[in-house]
Amino acid sequence: MRYAAAIAAMAVGTIFLLLVPYVLKIALDAIADGTATMWQVLLPAALAIVAFNAVHGFFTYLRGRWAAQASEGIVRRLRHELYAHLERLPCSYHDVADTGDLVQRCSSDVETLRVFLSAQVVEIARVSLFLLIAIPIMFSQSIGMALLSLAAFPVLITFAIIFFRKVRHLFEQVDQAEGRLTTVLQENLTGIRVVRAFARQEFEIEKFSERNADFRNLEYRLFHVMANYWTLSDLIVFAQIGLVLIGGGYFVLQGTLSLGTWMLFFWLLRTIIWPVRHFGRVLAESGKAVVAIGRIREILAIDPESVEPRPDAPVGGDIAVRDLTFAYGDGQPVLDGLTLDIKEGETVALLGPPGSGKSTLVNLLVRLYDYRDGSITIGGRELNSINRSAVRESFGMVLQDPFLYSKTVRDNVMLGRSSAADHEVEETARAADIHENIVEFEHGYDTMVGERGVTLSGGQRQRLAIARALLKDPEFLVLDDSLSAVDTKTEAHILQALASRRGRHTTILIAHRLSSTRLADRIFVLDRGRLVEQGTHHELLESGGPYSRLWKIQGMLEEEIEHDLAQGS
Amino acid sequence: MSDWFDDDHETKVDLRLWKKLLRYTLRYRRTSLTFLVVAFCLAMTDLGFPLLTGILIADIEQNGTAVNLPLYGWLFAGLSVSICACIWGFIACAGKVRTHVSHDIRRDAFVQLQQLSFSFYDTKPVGWLMARLTSDCQRLANILAWGVMDFIWGTILMTGITIVMVAYNWRLAVAVLIVVPVLFAVSVFFRKRILRTSRLVRKTNSKITAAYNEGISGVRTTKVFVREAENLHDFDLLADEMRGHSIRNAVLSAVYLPLVLTLASVAIALSLAWGGYQVQVFGLPVGEVVMFMYFAQLFFQPVQDMSAWFAELQMAQASAERVISLVEAVPEVRDSDEVARRLRETGGDGHEDRLDHIQFENVDFRYRTGPPVLEDFNLSVQPGQTIALVGATGGGKSTLVNLLCRFYEPTDGKILIDGVEYRERSLLWLQSNLGIVLQQPHLFSGTISDNIRYGKLDATGEEIEEASKLAGAHEFITDLENGYDTEVGEGGNQLSLGQKQLVSFARAVLKRPRLMVMDEATSSIDTETEKQIQQGLQRVLRGRTSFVIAHRLSTIRAADRILVIDHGRIVEQGTHQELIALGGRYHNLYTEQSMRDIVRIDDLMNGNGKAT
Repeated sequence: MRYAAAIAAMAVGTIFLLLVPYVLKIALDAIADGTATMWQVLLPAALAIVAFNAVHGFFTYLRGRWAAQASEGIVRRLRHELYAHLERLPCSYHDVADTGDLVQRCSSDVETLRVFLSAQVVEIARVSLFLLIAIPIMFSQSIGMALLSLAAFPVLITFAIIFFRKVRHLFEQVDQAEGRLTTVLQENLTGIRVVRAFARQEFEIEKFSERNADFRNLEYRLFHVMANYWTLSDLIVFAQIGLVLIGGGYFVLQGTLSLGTWMLFFWLLRTIIWPVRHFGRVLAESGKAVVAIGRIREILAIDPESVEPRPDAPVGGDIAVRDLTFAYGDGQPVLDGLTLDIKEGETVALLGPPGSGKSTLVNLLVRLYDYRDGSITIGGRELNSINRSAVRESFGMVLQDPFLYSKTVRDNVMLGRSSAADHEVEETARAADIHENIVEFEHGYDTMVGERGVTLSGGQRQRLAIARALLKDPEFLVLDDSLSAVDTKTEAHILQALASRRGRHTTILIAHRLSSTRLADRIFVLDRGRLVEQGTHHELLESGGPYSRLWKIQGMLEEEIEHDLAQGS
Repeated sequence: MSDWFDDDHETKVDLRLWKKLLRYTLRYRRTSLTFLVVAFCLAMTDLGFPLLTGILIADIEQNGTAVNLPLYGWLFAGLSVSICACIWGFIACAGKVRTHVSHDIRRDAFVQLQQLSFSFYDTKPVGWLMARLTSDCQRLANILAWGVMDFIWGTILMTGITIVMVAYNWRLAVAVLIVVPVLFAVSVFFRKRILRTSRLVRKTNSKITAAYNEGISGVRTTKVFVREAENLHDFDLLADEMRGHSIRNAVLSAVYLPLVLTLASVAIALSLAWGGYQVQVFGLPVGEVVMFMYFAQLFFQPVQDMSAWFAELQMAQASAERVISLVEAVPEVRDSDEVARRLRETGGDGHEDRLDHIQFENVDFRYRTGPPVLEDFNLSVQPGQTIALVGATGGGKSTLVNLLCRFYEPTDGKILIDGVEYRERSLLWLQSNLGIVLQQPHLFSGTISDNIRYGKLDATGEEIEEASKLAGAHEFITDLENGYDTEVGEGGNQLSLGQKQLVSFARAVLKRPRLMVMDEATSSIDTETEKQIQQGLQRVLRGRTSFVIAHRLSTIRAADRILVIDHGRIVEQGTHQELIALGGRYHNLYTEQSMRDIVRIDDLMNGNGKAT
């Protein structure tokens, strides 16, 4: 709608602009005839010129405003759609998708489209209107002169289109060269310690210089090619102007054309020919927008996660897993007929070598993936039939590689519960043994995380993630190898905090160290997607299975240490 | 991302800075001279068109059919060819300066970055530095090329128009010229605002990109915490901001351009009315009126261009400051003048090429204004000794190593290498003799063998393989599909942390350094592989002075001497046995550590344990 209004405004404005040469014609004819007087011709004509330009200006302003509102509105909606859609896409999609590519589509492709909508569409409309209005004016004045004035237009446009098709790859090459330059630079800066440690400054400078020169040479070549283009197209433009000037002069001498009409053509031509010269390029560039739209559509066409109705009551109760088999994509099954039960309020530990399916099981529990074979029930309800958000709301999860947003520390913790009071945030931070670190930051809890603030170590990130899961005070608490990067004392502290909350949540610990398993009521040992052992610590020790073997090895190690100590003293 | 750091603000144009930058342009003397000629010719041909048009019309008015039209045709053709040639030359010159100057600034800045001390890097994030060498360089080069050239061309053209107009008819000239200052003022006013909003658009756009990036990389967290709605809401605020800035930017342009056009039309209207009057009263040729209207039109291109560059110059002041300060920064750690002189004159730093005995004498150190990290630190290391450093994080272990490598220098006290204060020696000499393996190993994109070869650029395939075997990396490398030719990806991201550590270890081994430094170099390697490395490590470290920071007991136990560092002091030292016997801090650390250190369940259950 706004677009239509913008185009209407543009049309009105263009008419006024193109009337200016007509005023000039009348005035000049009158001056040449000697009939022009200050008051009857000259002053009104002068006023008309300024007034028409001003009116054109006003409509151009309206056009600019409305076109911007229209195009920015469309782009705003598209951005919103894309973001919302990306959040709803299943993890199975994100696992295989290339983040860089997705971001590129959402940023540069959308930007290409934005420029197309806000600048190129307007430009195409403007040039079209110019031609639509100027051509009738020209023909109404003199058919011969009109034909003469427009002779070079098709050549000009065709030349531009062909030219930009041909040099497109050069633009791409320049972009790529710039990308390579940036990569070398980035790697050098992030690896500056290695460069110094190996005293490789010379080598690095050489490497950089090569890319730097590459980029310079390609860009310089691009400038040459562009110089050729502008020069040739200018030559066409000047030939056209010269044709009208000399040809018109000839008709005036013949007496078939008045001086005013001659100048009308001359002036009109110079008003419209420069935008037309640009037009070929605009058309060629528009091709990019079509490609961009295609790439954006590809994302939007992918099916998001299914949405089941929300249950009336919060999700909770016993977890029962039966014959659960699951594979990522078309790969090997990671879970292979797994069956286990976790009772409400219980603390369990999952043990097993990498790839045994521990993380997969918890990922399935929070419905990051959908299982098809077997069943999981929570509180007696089949998991696949419960609304995803409702399931996730009942879980507090610490992922293996926790992600922190580039917000403040407090905001990151409050992700767990946005209504939490400051003292609650602090309390959980203490429980996760991260409070001391936070208060040492320059701005305490208000320190930004990431490039613009502190860079947290792996252990700090894990502890922050634990704090945010605890703050949620969830029905189910899941720690997926969340203590791998913290030192012994901290680990002990956190385990203690967890122990004091025993019974408050159903807790699932994925552990790599035996220290954590002591906290568990029951231990499940997984291997190759199956349950190989379960029971309490003591039961498993007595049964003589894999778990007891682990303990034996540990015992041996302890003996060795004691031996060491004994020897020392 | 880089835009986060562009804190653009207008300041007064500091001509000293720009003079320094202008030197980059003046290096291309021939291009600069050619350009001056081209700019002059271009301005003159620009002038030629109105003149020719006016004279032709006047000629037709006065002489009728006697006019030699073909002559005018040829003249016009000549002008056209000349202007096109000038335009070509103009773009070629500007292109040359633009690309070469940005290349040169970037090169100087990069070379400078290779010399600057880590204390400089500590205060500047990588993104900030990247922005200096990319967008800032391009921007300054643009001003130095197109800006300067447009300025020169515009000045010549406007002076030319003024002279011709005044010579022809000074009364009409006044009519045109009174509009110019207004035009200039209006242009500068709007150009500045347009630039400002377009910068806001760019900034917001990079925030949006960052938001997408975060949204995608954090999608699991978002899902798990059911944050979709909140995130979308935050994002919408950004998108709204973007829309607001974009519209404001478009509207400003929509006001500016018509305003300029209307102002120019005032000049045209004035020449028409005033000129027409003169035709009636003084018998001025009509051609002259047309000529002046043409001149009036010709004026506003340079005025617009120059005002745009003027605005840009003010906005780019901050960029210029940042780039100049980078290029002129003085490295804190560098060869002393005396050492540099010796290097120049004799090629060496005047000391024996030995690196055996290392001594710390009363060393104090603090990072910038931070609290002291080391205080009155003393240490003497015998040739070939392996020193293990243990102790709590923040105790000063890494600082010690940083000082030893001369990444930083002591704030007080001395470090002696074979009796010579190390500031008396060349920095390159010391660092050429170092082998360092860091906890966060940095690999460069390229193949695995490229990365190992970084240790010794002319190493043969066999040497690389041998080093990998010693480092315990050979096995995993040969297991990869493309073996040593496997691309490691940007930052080595195709490899796991443990694998990266092994490659970076092999890289250091290949260098055969005299002094080996390992900072938690094997923290992410599983027990099994660790055992294999141990044997290689013993061979590598044998007869080589080395410093090892480690948590692994196996690594520590093998050291000749163990230093327990706390709060910047050595609190205990001795061999493993001695320290255990002491029953102090090391004893506690050891018992605490060993319980958890060795018992990694997956290692045990996995048997080979390589998959971590």
